[in-house]
Amino acid sequence: MEFVSPEGLRLDGRRPLEMRQLRAEIGSISKADGSAVFEMGNTKVIAAVYGPREVENKSQQISDKALVRCEYTMANFSTGDRVRKPKGDRRSTEISMVIRQTMESCILLEKFPQSQIDIFVQVLQADGGTRSACINAATLALADAGIPMRDLVTSCSAGYLNSTPLLDLNYVEDSAGGPDVTVGLLPKMDKVTLLQPDVALPEIMQMDSKLPIDIFENVMQLAIEGCKAVAIYIREILLENTKQLEYRRGK
Amino acid sequence: MVGLSIGETNFIRGGIAQDLRCDGRKRLSYRPINVETGVIPQAELGRPSSSRPDHGKVSIHVDCSATAAPMYQGKGGEELSSELALALQRGLLGSKSGAGAGIDLSSLCIVEGKTCWDLYIDCLVLSSDGNLLDALGAGIKAALSDTGVPRVQVMAADASSSSDQPEIDVSDEEFLQFDTSAVPVIITLTKVGRHYIVDATAEEESQMSSAISISVNRQGHICGLTKRGGAGLDPSIIHDMISVAKHVSEQFLNKLDSEIAAAQARQEES
Repeated sequence: MEFVSPEGLRLDGRRPLEMRQLRAEIGSISKADGSAVFEMGNTKVIAAVYGPREVENKSQQISDKALVRCEYTMANFSTGDRVRKPKGDRRSTEISMVIRQTMESCILLEKFPQSQIDIFVQVLQADGGTRSACINAATLALADAGIPMRDLVTSCSAGYLNSTPLLDLNYVEDSAGGPDVTVGLLPKMDKVTLLQPDVALPEIMQMDSKLPIDIFENVMQLAIEGCKAVAIYIREILLENTKQLEYRRGK
Repeated sequence: MVGLSIGETNFIRGGIAQDLRCDGRKRLSYRPINVETGVIPQAELGRPSSSRPDHGKVSIHVDCSATAAPMYQGKGGEELSSELALALQRGLLGSKSGAGAGIDLSSLCIVEGKTCWDLYIDCLVLSSDGNLLDALGAGIKAALSDTGVPRVQVMAADASSSSDQPEIDVSDEEFLQFDTSAVPVIITLTKVGRHYIVDATAEEESQMSSAISISVNRQGHICGLTKRGGAGLDPSIIHDMISVAKHVSEQFLNKLDSEIAAAQARQEES
């Protein structure tokens, strides 16, 4: 199947190095300490943060830092075919763990010993890149909750189809079976916290040159650039939000 | 769920007795409604049940997201979700035999006895501050008004063919707009002390002795009734509450309809 036309256009009309349109909104859920909605193209997720607060399960309490819990769920109307079991299936559990580990690396946990921070992410519409959208939404929600972090965490995915590296895959491109990687980055510190490649084995076998390591590095570098672009957008949104708060405060 | 001190509870009760609530509303006024159309219930082709061969099927499912409250994560929200789903079904779909349903199911039928539309209504609670049933009912009405059922052409089937599924051609282009003028809306009346309030917040709900959710449609007919809460209610009080609900429903329906129309106009503009 043709994912990149001879003129260099992808299935949705984008160029290979073009990201989807980003949209974010802070503070949608008034009851949560922090919340954010993040959209990457047609993928739409909402994140809510509750905390820092007292640990529910005393046995899980950590004496010198905060406990981070994360739950990732997909609404049953989020994909084309209705998902019957939104919680507890293996993919959700795995992604919950991935998001938790990523956010743990950037929150200053030592500031809140013996407490817990809950991050809940709900996918409202899935069109590829839900992992990345969730991490971006969680970053915004944590910032909205005022939880101190070392740096923002931004995430983006990139893949390789029809011999072209592609940035920010949508669902069709993601399920095409080519290798792709999701990267989580701490932009100011320029450190990669999450690197999840999804290399489909048959693809490697078929390519007569295996998956050359430099193509992989290329794709990874592309994803890192995507993360930096997301970081710029997130920073803008946060600045705008702070200006609004300042304005409302009457300064 | 909501921790309130004794001082706060007295404040809420006293206020309600004097027709003044915490956020300044009167006992019978609703919070502002915001409607945004965008989420579409999904419809699949299915077989009608044998007892009602000329009607379609609708199934309602409610999910409480953990974003609404931390206790809903994992299995926590399941009890509340099933309670809400059942109450919604009773209010909107009528009894098991399909009689008296608020939603017109016969419009969902394609081939009598063989094929019909299976409409799935999925609700997701993202943020909760009391009065979930009313909000869900209003949301369903808004979503249904935005639903299009694709036009279906039935290919002439051979009289001799014994296959169960006649050939159906589902059009991708043409849509029939779902008719929602008859869809009822749910009004929940919460009894606190000796007075009833409409559209209770979570704090007010924690003070309630009992609540009645009544689904009323535009003609003022009652399509369903659910009572919650442990305290018993005198039948005359229930009568009274029903008439209050009918009265409030007119205003609520008008407001909801105008919000839905505004949302659809906004959608068409963009």
